[in-house]
Amino acid sequence: MTAIWRSTVLALVLALGSASAFAAQAYKLRVDGLACPFCAYGVEKQLKAVKGVEKVDVDIKTGNVIVTVAEGTAFDEATAKKAVTDAGFTLRGFEKLPAQGSGK
Amino acid sequence: MTTPHGATRIKLASIIGLLLAAAGPAWGAPITFNTALPVQEDGWVLREQFVLSRNADDPDPAANRNMRASGVVSILGYGVTRDFALFGVLPYLDKRLDVNAAGQRVTRRDDGFGDLTLIGRYTAYTRDAPGRTFRIAPFLGVKAPTGRDDARDGLGRLPPTVQLGTGSWDFLGGAVVTHQTLDWQVDAQLAYRANREANGVRFGDVGGLDASLQYRLWPQELGSGVPAFLYGVLEANLVHAGKNRISGARDPNSGGTTLFLSPGLQYVTKKWIVEAGVQVPVVQDLNGTALKNDYIVNAGLRINI
Repeated sequence: MTAIWRSTVLALVLALGSASAFAAQAYKLRVDGLACPFCAYGVEKQLKAVKGVEKVDVDIKTGNVIVTVAEGTAFDEATAKKAVTDAGFTLRGFEKLPAQGSGK
Repeated sequence: MTTPHGATRIKLASIIGLLLAAAGPAWGAPITFNTALPVQEDGWVLREQFVLSRNADDPDPAANRNMRASGVVSILGYGVTRDFALFGVLPYLDKRLDVNAAGQRVTRRDDGFGDLTLIGRYTAYTRDAPGRTFRIAPFLGVKAPTGRDDARDGLGRLPPTVQLGTGSWDFLGGAVVTHQTLDWQVDAQLAYRANREANGVRFGDVGGLDASLQYRLWPQELGSGVPAFLYGVLEANLVHAGKNRISGARDPNSGGTTLFLSPGLQYVTKKWIVEAGVQVPVVQDLNGTALKNDYIVNAGLRINI
């Protein structure tokens, strides 16, 4: 009986993890004007305040910001532009990246 | 009427006042003045700045004045919109004057909160490019007489420069220009402070022209992500103070021009900045028997909230 429970729990965990991996969607934003670490905080904070945004990775050297959102999140260029603008910077590029965890 | 000794010291207070009021709150930015870099909308930035100023080079050996002012200046910035930010500047000061008077060495001092300054800054021009930005931001401010200006000791009412506040509502304005790249940053500021009369004293107006260069010393090569930066900082502050008016009459022993050079270091991370610098007067062209400045030390912390 214990073994069955263990198997069930393990299967659930794997299923949830797999679902999460399939659900994640990433976007690459190109932000102009970012030139110091202290400024990057504002961009991160504004983007993380958007509903459904799970992760924000800033690369200050390239000005690229990778935003990972949960499945079903309405994250579009207008939303990204507002967040970047509110942080005091300029959105120059917006690109939807290929879905992560696509079963490979 | 204020003595020449007392009056000349007012210039020191004016200079420190302008520097404190114009001190910027954020970013990899100048240590001794403001920047045009943004405060995010609905975001807060806190700066705590320790300041120590010493003036002991007295051209009048009989008085042998020694003035020291130290304190912590708290600056809170809030981004109302992406272009408009408000700053509140509140110093906590300890002022001390040692002087020969009537054959004795006496000390006059007071400590406590000084005058509150509120500044509004609007970013009028922004040009962003990959890894760089150029901005122009005019600002206006008002200094409220919140600090004590009628303190007394056993010798009577303290001289105006030892008082924590001036007792007057003063106004300041100017503009700051910033050009920032991933490797370096240049800021320049033109500021003017119009002082008004209180307690029979009107401090001379103060104009300032400031420049700052910050150069990234470390890391020499940028990696991925958001690494911390170590900046070497070199700043110049040209400050001109007009003559004071005591009971309506110009005081010939007040006002003048000082040029400071200010080397410093700044360690900048995503969440906080620590920094330190020292302002050394390289040119002092002061009126009459003005008390010269020896140095001003600045050290502090800035936090993204």
